[in-house]
Parts: sequence; C-alpha cells; structure tokens
Amino acid sequence: MDIDIQNVTRTFRGGVTALDDLTLHIPTGMFGLLGNNGAGKTTLMRILAGLLRPTAGRVVVGGHELATKAGQQAVKAELGYLPQDLGLYPDLTARQFLDYVALLKGLDRTADRRRRVGEMLELVALTDVADRRLKGFSGGMRRRIGIAQALLNDPRLLIVDEPTAGLDPEERIRFRTLLSQLPGSRTVLLSTHIVEDVAQTCRQVAILGRGQVRFRGTVDEVVAHAGGRVWSVTTRQDGPPAGVVVSALAHEDGTRYRVVSDIRPSEDAVALEPTLEDGYLALTGAITVAG
Amino acid sequence: MKSFVATARYEFTMQWRKRSVWIVTGVLALLLVAIGAGQLTYVFDASDTKTAMARAALLLQLLLPVGYGSLLADRLVRDRQIRIAEVLDATPADATARLAGKYAGSCAATAVPILVLYLVVGVAYGIAEGDWAAAGWVFAIFVVITLPGLAFVGAAALAFPLVMPTPLFRVLFVGYWFWGNAVTPAAMPTTAQTLLAPEGAYGLRQFFGYDEEIMRPRGDLFNVLRPEVSATTAVLSIALLAVLSVLLLAGANAVQSRSTR
Amino acid sequence: MLTPPSVLVLGMIAAAAQFGAGENDASIARTLIGVLEMLLPLAAGGGAASLIGHDPVAELVASCPTGYPVTLVRRLIVSLTWITVLAVLASTALIATGWWDRWPAAHAPLPGQLTWLSPVLFLAALGFLAGAVLRSPGTAAGIVAVVWLTQQVLNSLMQSSPAARMLNLFVTTRGMPADWTVNRLVLLGGAVVLFLFAWLVLTRSEATYSGEGS
Repeated sequence: MDIDIQNVTRTFRGGVTALDDLTLHIPTGMFGLLGNNGAGKTTLMRILAGLLRPTAGRVVVGGHELATKAGQQAVKAELGYLPQDLGLYPDLTARQFLDYVALLKGLDRTADRRRRVGEMLELVALTDVADRRLKGFSGGMRRRIGIAQALLNDPRLLIVDEPTAGLDPEERIRFRTLLSQLPGSRTVLLSTHIVEDVAQTCRQVAILGRGQVRFRGTVDEVVAHAGGRVWSVTTRQDGPPAGVVVSALAHEDGTRYRVVSDIRPSEDAVALEPTLEDGYLALTGAITVAG
Repeated sequence: MKSFVATARYEFTMQWRKRSVWIVTGVLALLLVAIGAGQLTYVFDASDTKTAMARAALLLQLLLPVGYGSLLADRLVRDRQIRIAEVLDATPADATARLAGKYAGSCAATAVPILVLYLVVGVAYGIAEGDWAAAGWVFAIFVVITLPGLAFVGAAALAFPLVMPTPLFRVLFVGYWFWGNAVTPAAMPTTAQTLLAPEGAYGLRQFFGYDEEIMRPRGDLFNVLRPEVSATTAVLSIALLAVLSVLLLAGANAVQSRSTR
Repeated sequence: MLTPPSVLVLGMIAAAAQFGAGENDASIARTLIGVLEMLLPLAAGGGAASLIGHDPVAELVASCPTGYPVTLVRRLIVSLTWITVLAVLASTALIATGWWDRWPAAHAPLPGQLTWLSPVLFLAALGFLAGAVLRSPGTAAGIVAVVWLTQQVLNSLMQSSPAARMLNLFVTTRGMPADWTVNRLVLLGGAVVLFLFAWLVLTRSEATYSGEGS
C-alpha cells in the first residue's frame, strides 16, 4: 500500500504554513519520518489519516484518492492510527475501549472481535489489567493501549506518531520488534524524535524541515552523510567546540563532546563511526546553516 | 447503523457510570422535600390520579431539565478536550452516525434518574392514595411528554457548546429554561405554554388531564403559538420539538464536520 | 468572563422589550434589578462551578509552591471581582437614571448593593463547594442551576416558611420586604460557611486536580 503525496500544501488560520508544496513517495514497508519540531510531520500524518484536508495538492494512498469521501473511507478501513497526543475514555476498561474502537473499525462479528481484542491485549502485555478502568493506567500503559487499538483491524497502513513516547526501554524494544515483524505487504509510517527507533526498524527515511522534504533516501545514506565528520573531543574550555554537538558528557579530564563537523575540531579530536543520529544532525545542521 | 449502535452503547455505559448523573436529580429531590413536601400536596390534591400525576410531572419537568442539560453540555466537546477525537475520526465509522449514537446513548443514560424519580412519585402516590395506576400514568407521561422535552434539551446541550464556551451555555440555558417554561405568560411575553415549550403544556392537558387553562394574555406576542388544546395541537407540539431536536443535531454535525477538516 | 456581561446584555434587552411594549415603570425596574439579583448570581455560580475538574495544567500547578487550592481561590476572586465591577457599574447606572427607585422594594444605594452581592456570593460559594466535592463542572453547575430554578419556581412556597425565607435568593424582586436585611446577612453568612467547607475539601484532597474522569 504505497503512498503518493504530490505538491501538498497545508496552511492554517493565521497564515501558518505547515506543509509547503511537499512531494513524497512512500513505498510499501517500514518508512521513517524525521524532522525538528514544527517541521510538519504531524500535519502530514493527519492528512494521510484523513483527519485534515490539504490546502492544495493531491494524496493517493494504495490507489485511493484521499480527496474523495469514498477514497477516505477505503483508506480508513485499512488504517491503524496512533496519534502523538493520545487521549482515552477514562471510564471505560481497557477491554471495553478496544471493543469500542474495534466496532468503529468495522469488526462486527462478536466472537472475532473479542478474540482480536484479547490478542491485542496479549500483544501489549495488558491482559492482566484488561478489566481495569483506563483512568487508573500509567502513561506507558496508555501508550500500549494506543498501540493495541491501532493494530486491531490488522491494518495495511499503520501510521504511528511518537509511538514509544513514555515507554520504558523494555517496552520500546518490544514495540520495535513488533513493528519489524509486521508482514511485508504493509506500509508502516513511523514518525518520531527517537532516532534510534528509526535506525532499528526502517530502511527508508525522509527528513522534513519547514514543511518540505529535505532529504529522502535510505538510512544508510543518512548515516553516510556524517561519514568522516564525527569527532570525539575532550576539552576543559568553556563552551563546546565548533560543529554540531551530538552529546556532552562531564568527565574527569573535562567535558567529552561528540560533534559533527566538516573539519577536525582540534588536534586531539578522535574520529568516530557515524550513527543515524549523527547523520540526521549533519543534515539538519547543514540545513539550518544554509537556511 | 452499526456505528450508531456501538457509539450509543458505549456512550450510555460511560454516562451511566458517572455518579454525577444521579447526584443532580438527588439534589432536586432533597430540595423539594426540604422546601415543603407537605406544602406541595396541592400537586396531589386533584380530582383523579391521572391529573395528579400530570401536576407532579409538570413540576418535575419545570425543574429537572436544567440539571439534565448541564450534565450533557460537555458530551460532544469532550472528545476534543480529552484528545480521543483523532483516534475516533481515523476510523471508517461515519461521523454522523457517531454523533447520533453519542446523542442517543448519553441522553438515555442521563434520563434514567429522571425516570426513576417519576416512578418514585408514582409509587409514593400509589401508597398514599391506594391507587397503583399512578405508576402507570407517570410512566406514560414520561414517555409521551417528558422524553420529547428531554430530547430537545439534549440536542441543545450537545450543539450549543460547539459554538460557545460551555459555562456560558449552561447559564444561558438556565435563563432560557426559566423564561421559556416557568414564567407565566401573564408576567411577561414568553414561549411558556406554547407549542414550542418543552414543558409539554399541550400534551399534558390533552392526554393527561392537566387542569389549568393555557394563559393567553391579551395582545401577547406569542399567542399565535397558543392555539386551542386538541389532539392535533398536542401531537403537533411533540412533533415540533422533535423537528427542533433534529435541526440542532444537524447543526452540530455541520459544525463538527467543518472543524474536523 | 464572557458570561456575566452576556447575561447583563440579555437582561437589558428584556427590559427594553418591556419598555417597547408599554409596561409600567415598576415592572421594568423590577426586571432591571432582577438582572442583578437573579442573572448575575446565576453567572457567578456557574462560573465558580466550572473552575474545578477540567484544568489541563492542574497537576503542574499543584506541584508549584503556591499550590492548587490557593490558585483556585485566586481564580474565583478574579471571577467575582469581574462580576462586582459589572454589578457596581450597572447598579450605579440604575441609581443615576432613577430606575433603581422605581421598584418599591429597592433599598438605599449603599446597602442596596447587597441586592446582588449576597446571592452572588452564596451561589458562587455553592458552585465552588459542589465543584470541590464532585470535581465535575457539569454536575456542580447542574446543582447551582437546580437550586436557582427551584427557588424561582417554588418562590411562593419558600415565603411561607421562616427558615426558607432566610435563604430566599430573590427577596428584593420576589420576596417579603420585611425580611430583607436579615435575609441578605444570612446569605452572606451562608456563603462564608460554604466557602470554608470548600477550602477544607480542597486542602484535604489530592484528587481535586484529577477531575471526575469526564
């Protein structure tokens, strides 16, 4: 179920342009969406989920035109959506909430629906608290319910916005494993600030900036962008060395910085193997400087 | 249809679980007792059981819907407030069906304590007067007279907070309810005792023997809406309330569709 | 903040309609004073009831040194101050234009401010307490509405009982003139008692800022 986004613009009241003539093709499979706050990721997700209409442009999902009501319905029938800002009905139990969403997703046969709800609760390890009201759930548990509801209808298109926010490391790994195991005919669009989630699960990635696509390619290409440009520098001087700082760690010898820089920051700087995060910062850092 | 049923079922469940739904009705019951249960005997001092129950129902119908409307005022806007709207909007379930289901489910749950209070009055009368038909009459009045009024109030309570702050709606609604139902036409121009009054003036008089005449002050602006009481005008009054309810819900649907996209 | 001026405007429109219909001055004056004695307190009660239960930053505020109960009281004071300003302006306008005195039961300008102040504080305190206990704006506002409307509908019954007369919110426009001063003071005292109860509930309950759960 691939996605064709053609020259999409979305402006909001007050003249805010969230998406600016954006064109992007998302193939079947795992696809990562990265970008700074305000880059337009969530707006794009909402358009693909049929919650917002573009001000201009065209979106085709799995051959269905999102501009038409029939197209939207067809996409929603195959959609699993986990928004960034997830709310739940506090007075329903976990089981009841999933049952309700399952009904709205068209799982009409009672036996099948109940079985599916049970499977999803098992998948997110919430079977033991299935009959507890959601108002008593922790943040991580609420997120897991959000994941469960997104997968209820075995969607061909899964859109997840910050899915691992609030999850502990074990839950995060479980979720990544879950995503990776989804069959190959699906499209999973993963938007996140946690670069490691994309690194562990996606081969293809796009980086948005100011409502436009700034980079489109493979994860390896993003990483390669920082090749030969990542350094470890330990210094006692005030302030970081030149370049984009990836991390800073206090050390007995001073502060150890990991920086992305075109030139060696200092004589004793040690070259490091780049990661996806380094590549992302190299790209967005370059964009910031140029823009 | 399935989306409607699913939504109605779960909205009923959520609203039913709120203790507040019972508290407001309970507070009113306490107030009525405190102000003077003994002095309210005029309500029951009627020529027959049916009329006595009509009098009781009118009193309850004047007072209870304000609490009813207040409890329902945030039902539609809360999906955005608690941030569940996106998840629901992303399902293939028809938004209009969901709106109708939310209306039906939450209104039904909020009406249950009112029905219980009606039945308590009927049973109390039955015990006091030895006429158990009172319970039957009060139930019939609830279905024929009270429900259309509550349907209208429920529709207004869901629709108006979409276009104004909920606290403002609650206050304006109480003001409207008092002016449009409780004020006597002799005191000031009012829609009370007209075909449009949710109090059910025409139905109570035509079908349940309520024994006070409709007031038609000379020269009153609203007398055009006060035809003679008959089966036709009683049915017309109920039908008008239904139409108004549908219009309000249609308006709510239109506002929601616009704001969603 | 929108509700109090809205009800003032609506009341003025009602009075204007009466004027246009040729009603007598006493009746129009009663409507104008009724706006202060009936509608503003309803707005005050509804506003106070909505302060607790749907606050998106309640947890954050509760973690600050000031604390949530104090913050709620400050919000209530802001709301009541706004209503006070509007009420004083409106009553001053009525007094200056002579409409105040055209209602026979109206009192002298200064003590006459209790016409609105007592029921405003009483219903605000009731709404605030209901909100603190129930943590549901809808329920708390519903209770205020039911109390207000019951007093309107059963006003004549209330006047037949000495105890009930003391709690009559609308004694200036719908009550017995002889009871006025005691009634206003009893309502003020009742408001103080209700506020104190509300404060006790707020300061003893962690659940105040979690809301009823919609």
